Order: sequence, then C-alpha cells, then structure tokens
Amino acid sequence: MTSEKPLIMLIDDDRDFLDLNRRILEAKGYRVVCFSDPNVALAEMASRKPDVVITDLMMKDLDSGFVFSKKIKGDPRFKDIPVIIITAASSKRGFDFTPRTQDELDAMSADAYFDKPIVPEALLAKVEELLEK
Amino acid sequence: MSREHYHVEDEPHRILVVDDEYGMREGCRAVLAAEGYEVETAEDGVVGLKIFSEKGKFSAVLVDLNMPRMSGMELIEKMHELDKDVCLLVITGYATIETAVEATKRGAYGYIPKPFTPDELLLPVRSGLEKRSLTLEAKRLREERENRLLEVAFERSKSNTIINCMTDGVLVINRDKQIVLRNAASARIIPKCSQFHLPTPMEDALDAPELSALVAETLEVKSESLIISKEVTLGNCTYMVNASPVMELNGDTVGAVAVLRDITALKKLDTAKSMFVSMVAHEIRGPLAVIEGYLNVILSGVAGQNPDRDRGMLERSLARAKTLRKMVSELMNLTAMETGHFTIKRAPLEIARVVAEAVEWCREKADEKGIALALDCAEYTLKEKILADRDAMMCVFTNIIDNAIKYTPPNGNVKVAVEYNGIYAKISIKDDGIGMTHEEQERVFDEFFRAKNEFTENVPGTGLGLSLVKRLVDMHQGKISLDSTPGIGSEFTVSLPSMEDTLLII
Repeated sequence: MTSEKPLIMLIDDDRDFLDLNRRILEAKGYRVVCFSDPNVALAEMASRKPDVVITDLMMKDLDSGFVFSKKIKGDPRFKDIPVIIITAASSKRGFDFTPRTQDELDAMSADAYFDKPIVPEALLAKVEELLEK
Repeated sequence: MSREHYHVEDEPHRILVVDDEYGMREGCRAVLAAEGYEVETAEDGVVGLKIFSEKGKFSAVLVDLNMPRMSGMELIEKMHELDKDVCLLVITGYATIETAVEATKRGAYGYIPKPFTPDELLLPVRSGLEKRSLTLEAKRLREERENRLLEVAFERSKSNTIINCMTDGVLVINRDKQIVLRNAASARIIPKCSQFHLPTPMEDALDAPELSALVAETLEVKSESLIISKEVTLGNCTYMVNASPVMELNGDTVGAVAVLRDITALKKLDTAKSMFVSMVAHEIRGPLAVIEGYLNVILSGVAGQNPDRDRGMLERSLARAKTLRKMVSELMNLTAMETGHFTIKRAPLEIARVVAEAVEWCREKADEKGIALALDCAEYTLKEKILADRDAMMCVFTNIIDNAIKYTPPNGNVKVAVEYNGIYAKISIKDDGIGMTHEEQERVFDEFFRAKNEFTENVPGTGLGLSLVKRLVDMHQGKISLDSTPGIGSEFTVSLPSMEDTLLII
C-alpha cells in the first residue's frame, strides 16, 4: 500500500494548472487527485480525505476558492486539513487579496496563499511544512 | 425710456415769443436768434397756445401778460399744464409787476420787466433753460433708476426660474447654517428638505450628516475661489457635491452654495469598467502563469527529465500563448468598437455566399472531430444582397460556427441555414451539442463568459468571441438570439435587415 504517501487534492478550473501542479507534486512522490469543480471535490472528500488541499481562487465565481476553503474549515471532519489558495487574481477592483498577516490568512480560512505562477520549490516547501504540523 | 421727449443737446433750443406788440416780438426774435436759439412768434395767447401744442417741443416761452383774447396768466397756466418742464418767462411792464410775481407762483420761472436790454433778456432765458436742463436730467436719472429696479426684479425671477429648472440640486445656506434657498431638484433629492419653510436650520432639513458637514466646512473657508467637492451617498444614489463659499466684498463669508449632481450612473459605469479591467488582468495572467509554470518545471527539472513529457508541456504552452494572442486582438477590436474607432464598411453583399464561405472555412475543424457540418440554403437566397461589412460578417459566422463545433461532442451535427424574406436575412446555426442552462444563456454574450463544466474545461477559448459577434451584429442593426437546452443543443439565429431597410435606418 502506498497509503503512507500523503494525498494532495488539487482544485482548479484550468486544466493546465492541474496538470502542472500534479507534475510538480507527483515528482516528489505525493499522491494527487484533481478536480475542476470545488463541489465535486467536497463530495469526494468524505470518502478520500486528503492531507493537503490546494485550490484556485477564482473559478466559477470570483471567490469560489474562499467559499470552498470556508466549507472545509467549517466542517468538523475536515477542519484540520491544511488549505493552500493559489490565484492569478491579485486584485478585485484594484484591491490586493494577498494576505499580509496571519489574521488575514485566517480570515481566508487558508493556511497559505500563493500567486500564480507557482514557484515549484516554494510550493513544495510549503506543502512539506504543512504536512509536518 | 426714449430720450426724444427731451431736448437733445446738439439741437438749438426752440423759444416761442407771445406778445401783441409786433416790435417787441421781432426785437426778442433778433436778440434770441443771434444767440443761436430757434425762435417762433405769436401775436396773442390763442395763436400762441396753438403753436405751442402743435409745432413741437419748445424749451422756453416768453409771454406778455397784457394781451387781447387770452390773458398771459391764462396762457401760462395752460402751457404749464401741457408741459411741466417748459421754461415760462413773463414779459411785463412795471405797472403789473405784482401780477408777474403771481404768475411765477402759477408755474412761470421768472419775469423780465420792460423795457429791457438784450442782456437783461438773455440772462433769465439762459438761467431758465439751465434750470430746465437740470430738472430734465434729474427726471431722466429717476426714470432710469426705476427701470433698473424693474430689471432687477425681472432678473431675480428669471434666475429663480433658471435655478428651479436645473437638474442639479442647488442649496444656499447662510452663515447661521440655515437653508435660505433650495431649488426643485434639491427638494427631489432630499424630500425632507421641502417640508420646511425657509429659512430653516440645515441639520433638521437635510438629514444628511455628510452633506451638513461639507457645508459647515465650506462656511469656514476664507477664499472664494475654493470649491470643496465630495461624493455623498443619499439613499440609493451617489451625488457629487460641489460647495463654495459666498463672500461679501469685504471678504466675509456670508453663506455657502452647494450643488448636488447625480453621478449614480457614472459610478455604475466606473465600477463596471474597473471590473472589466480586473477581469482582463485575470484572464491574461492565467494563461501567462500556465506558460511560465510549464517552462519553470521544464527548466528546473523539478518533475524529472523526460523529453516526451517536456514536449507535451511545451505544446500546451504554445496553445495557451496562441489563445492569449487571439484574446488580445479581440480585446483590441472590442476597445476600438467602444471608442468608436472601429468602423464597418458596408457594401452590397451576397450574404448566403458569405455564410457558405464561413462554413467551408470551418469544415476542416468539423471533419477532425467527425462532426457533420451542413449548409441549407435555397437557390433563391444566393442572389439576395444586404448592406454589410464582409470582414465583420465572416467574423460573425466563423465565430458562431466554430463555437458550435467546439461545444458539440464528436459525431454530432452542426446545421447552418439561410433564409430571406425581403425584410431581413435570417441565418441560423443549430447544433446537437451540450447546450446551455438558462443562466448560461443569459450571460453568453458577456465579455469573458465561458460556460464551465466537465465538457468545456478542455475547450480552448477567450470568452470574447460571442461578445464580439453580438457587437458586430448590433452595428449592422441586426439581432442575435439564442435557443438552447442543456444536453440537447443550441441554436443561434442572426437576423440582418434587408438592403432597403438598412438604407432607411442609416
């Protein structure tokens, strides 16, 4: 069994991002499942609880990623799963989404936040750090 | 007021001499004419009065008291009645000086006792005429002032009318923070304000702390050229309030004027524009990040070395770069359309042939996917012409057909039909693809809208094609409609006006 290998759930509506991040993570030996719809991912979570969730921010709606991460953190079964938000949207009407403090990060129900494009090393380091916690 | 009633300075004074003695009449005429006066004479009061009332304006009249038919006294009274300003001088013998004094009480300016030297005649005439000029000038000034007052009153009511007709709200507030003037628009903007009789304290009547604070700030201002501008939200509307102080000549602020302009629609437009810009930024950053990400992975070797896999990633990067380039040119077209720099060149166009060409242009793509692409157009439609821009029409139909192919699974059908009924040409593009939900149909012509589901995630597209199509159809005074059912398929219908109708519209 490979159950020792951590399971990482990727959610993005851009299939190239799924493909890209999958390659980066799989190269490090992680198991990866990909979803383009956060709701499908949420339904899947009960049967296959991931160790880390990496989600895009703007999918169907501007804040799909926030809604999704709130649902995870609000569910007692999943609230301990670290969530990483990745986005190409640095601004919504000119306001920077990038969290500056831990509080702002908490407000997003996220454990980490990255701007696209992803620097592979930074993502991998963050995943490792979150898994160790 | 016309000045014709009065003596015009460069014309000589006219003087009437009324005396029954011929010698006296002619003596006076000689003396006065030598001084440049225009002289008329009359031998008695009846003739004198006739000349006075019929032969135009006289500046002065010399009247002998003792005359037959009508006494000098009576004549003076009658003339004074006709013209209050005329200078009446009595010519009298010493015996009747008392009577002459009486005459001055009844309107005569003075008397000249007989006999007199030329100077003794001229002196009272000159001073009488001078007095008359002064009286007339004073009268003119008085009338002028009265007219000006009338004008001011008229101006005031005119200003009130103008202020009330303004679509911007106008409020005038005095130093004691009381509203002293409001126009109809301001009463509409702040309904509460119209319930109070003016003047009324602004805090009570405005019920808008932000606005009151702005006015209070303006009242503190010490320079007339300073205008304080602020956006103020009242109810559901946003107003740009421009407030400026009203100052007296000595520099004291006596009040403030606030003009309220409704900028709600502008704010909405501004918001939409900002949203669009951030959408564009997001739509461009996405593909760029993908390209950068793939290249990063290949170059850094994070995912290991595998030429085949690397090639796959490079191909994806290329595909995304192409989409990006297409998106940028479509954006440029959309912007050109919005700023009015995009012009269509209408010419008679056999529309069915253009549609057929668009169909052929898309044929290869349909064949690749195994989609049956059919064109149904009756022979008669081929010769029908509409007034349209050829490139724009090609863009419209290749975009719609290309779209139909994209969103139809392999082995599906795309059917294009052309009809013409003399009023408009109707082109329909029908597919048996994935279809759209009601919500998706409503947004399909919006910029950057792309239906997102399991099927569409692998369909490349910019999300700008259909909004471009809609704009082009609009520019041709045409109509585009959509009928779609999820899982069954979609049908786009484009209607374009006939050549005759287009000529009528444009």
